[in-house]
Formats: sequence, structure tokens, C-alpha cells
Amino acid sequence: MCIACKHFIHRLGVKTILSVIGIEPDLFEADDFTSTMSCIREIEELKFVVIAQDILGSDMSKSILKLNAINPDIKLLIVCDDFCNCQDNALYISEYDTRQQVLEKFQRFFHDDNDESTETSSGLLSEREIDVLKAVALGYSNKEIADKLFISINTVISHRKNITEKLGIKTIAGLTVYAVMHDLIKPEDVKV
Amino acid sequence: MNSNLPFSPKTKMADVIHKDYRLIPIIGRFGIDYGFSNKSVNEVCGEYKINVWFFLEIINSYHNKEYFPQEELKNFNTSLIVDYLSNTHAYYLNVKVPEIEGYIAQIKNEVSIDNLKNIELLSDFFSEYNLELINHLDREDTIIFPYITWLEDTLKQRNFTAGIVKKVKEESIEQYARHHENMEMKLSDLKNLIIRHLPPIICKEICQKLLIELFRLEADLEDHSRIEDKVLVPKVSLLEQQILIACEAE
Repeated sequence: MCIACKHFIHRLGVKTILSVIGIEPDLFEADDFTSTMSCIREIEELKFVVIAQDILGSDMSKSILKLNAINPDIKLLIVCDDFCNCQDNALYISEYDTRQQVLEKFQRFFHDDNDESTETSSGLLSEREIDVLKAVALGYSNKEIADKLFISINTVISHRKNITEKLGIKTIAGLTVYAVMHDLIKPEDVKV
Repeated sequence: MNSNLPFSPKTKMADVIHKDYRLIPIIGRFGIDYGFSNKSVNEVCGEYKINVWFFLEIINSYHNKEYFPQEELKNFNTSLIVDYLSNTHAYYLNVKVPEIEGYIAQIKNEVSIDNLKNIELLSDFFSEYNLELINHLDREDTIIFPYITWLEDTLKQRNFTAGIVKKVKEESIEQYARHHENMEMKLSDLKNLIIRHLPPIICKEICQKLLIELFRLEADLEDHSRIEDKVLVPKVSLLEQQILIACEAE
């Protein structure tokens, strides 16, 4: 992903939020509109851009259209001080949002169309989700699970989100109970 | 009464309960008995020697999630809210938790052999949660609340030493607010483990009671932490500011 803000301190802030919500993507930084455009143009796998209003200039919607024109699949999260110029093709964070709102918007931003599950929401977990669930219940970290299953951390996070949604269980302790209940793991194997 | 308006000193006490029956245990915790007749909140509080502004803060915050106190905060001492919150902590630990544990124990006694393992898992899960809750509440009772009392005493005695500014800056209530954990998540998991994942059990009635208690505790804790965040924290911030200003002036 790319973080585009004029000020170093703002970019650092975004990085801190990413680590709070447990997302560790490959990071690129840009400090003006031109370098943001070249970042989107040159880095093929780039999917997410967090961008500050100061980069977009006074005509925000025009700048957004320009960025979308380079890569229509790019997802934009815009940090701005008002919503009057908001458009549908981007997600917005206001500078006045609370900590909770900011974290939720960031989570929504990364997870919305990250859904790789093959099962319906009422159904059981997919095989891969069960693998992830077992590892989570045994006490492995996202990084360890990614290494163990040869998948990226983002995929682990996306699986975890689906598991939580399907089971309605958010905490690791709760997932462990579920896994033991369904004989997916043995209680004595759980890492302390 | 317009349902969007917060309760005021003039609101009839009986109307408060009619409007929101979930306030029954809250009002009970103030030691208020029924038989209000047509008395207003102000009159009833007067009879029980309860600070009416504080009482209104609490019931309005419970009643309306969006309610945010402003001017009213200046009208009562912080010790009132600290006392109220520690009483509530004691109520959770001495009344609610044992009630839930009792239901789980009853289910354990009556459940079929093949489901016993599951109930034991739930029981362990709740015990673990209980320990976390004890730690969480204990930290507030032994560190946060004494700090608040200290702030109020310092301001009252106007005994400002050099270390005070440092202490207020380092231990500021904002730190606490920032790390104030959510204690409802595990309860919600426990509910879902029962509602969605537990194989059917024989003792349905106790299980229903258990679920209802879990829902109530969860909602109560949610309201409780909202009061900590919306009433306690701003009130303490105000105290801290007053101390810092007073220190500068001296």
C-alpha cells in the first residue's frame, strides 16, 4: 500500500494505526501528488492508498478521478477535514473522527473486498479457515501462521475476520473453546 | 415528556422508571425505595440526601448512549462518582458473577455425560474472564480511584508542591482513558458459544437464565464503562486542569 501525505509525522501516524490493527503490508510513501501518481503507476501490486487532503489539493474530486484513471482497482482512503467534496469511489476519514471511528474505518478499508472464503456465511468454515482457526486456537501469532501455512499475513487476517464473523467469536480464548469443543485441537497442545 | 430530552430535576421519579425500566437496578444502587407518589427527581433525591446533579448524570448516561454531560459536571464532587463506581464494582463481583457461576455449576450437575466436557470448557472460560474482570476492576479501585481522591484533596487543601505538576502530567486520566479495555467482548463470546455452538442440553431453564444474566451483565458493563469514559474522565480532566492552573498561579 501507499501512504501519501505531505508531512512525515502524518505518515508515521498512519503506520502506527496499521500496526494497531495488525496489518503489515509492503509500504510505499509519497509526499506530493506527482510522486503519488507515479507510485500507483509503477507498483503493479499496489491496492490501497491512504491519502491526505493536502496531497489532493483544492479540487479533490478531480484529483481522485486522476488517480482512479491510472488504476481503476485502487482503493482510496482519504483523510480530510470536511466531507463536502466526498465521492462514492473512496472512503473518508475526518480529522475530527474519534480513535474508535478511525480504527473502524481503517479496518473496513482493508477488509471490505478481501473476502476469499468459499462458503456461505451460515455454513461451516472452509478447510483453510479451519487450518487458521486451529493455529489461532493453539496460540500462534499471525506471522507464525502465515509462515506455517505459506500464505501472506493479510490473508491470515482476512481468514481470521471471516472465522470471527461466521462463528460470532472474537477473542482467542473463545476460539480456543470452540476448537476444543469441536475436537479440532487438544487442550494440552495449546501454547501458554 | 419529550423522549429526546434528558431527565431533569423536575422530571417525576415515577416517569423515569416508566420511561426506562433498565434504570431499576441503577436507582436501587442509590438506595432509593419505591412509593414516589408524584414527587420529582429533585424531591426524591433531597429526601435521600443524594446530589441531584450527580444522580441525573448517572441515569441520563445509562438511558441515552449519546448523552454527553457538560455544565452539570461542575455541580458535584468527584468523590460521589468514585463511591458510586466502586459500589458498582462490588455489585458485579459479589452479586452478578456468583449468580452466573451458580447457574453454570447447576448446569454442570444436570448435564448429560457427553456434554459435560463442553460445560467444563465454558466454566473455565468464565473463570478466566472473572479473573480478568477482577484485575480490571481492582486496578481502578486501587490505582485510579485513589489518584482521583488525591487530586480532589490536593485541590481542596491547596497544598501544591513541586512534584504535583509532574504527577498530574505523568499519571493523567487521559492515560487511563486511552488504555481502558473493553470487558464485554469475552462475555459476548460466551453467549455465542452457548447460543450457536453448544450441543442441546437437558436443563433448558437454567440455561435460559444463564443467558439472560450474561446479556444483562454485558449491557451493564457497557453502560458502566460509558459512565467511566463520559462522566468520570471529563470530570477528572477538569480537576487536573484546575490543579495545573492553580500551580502556575502560585
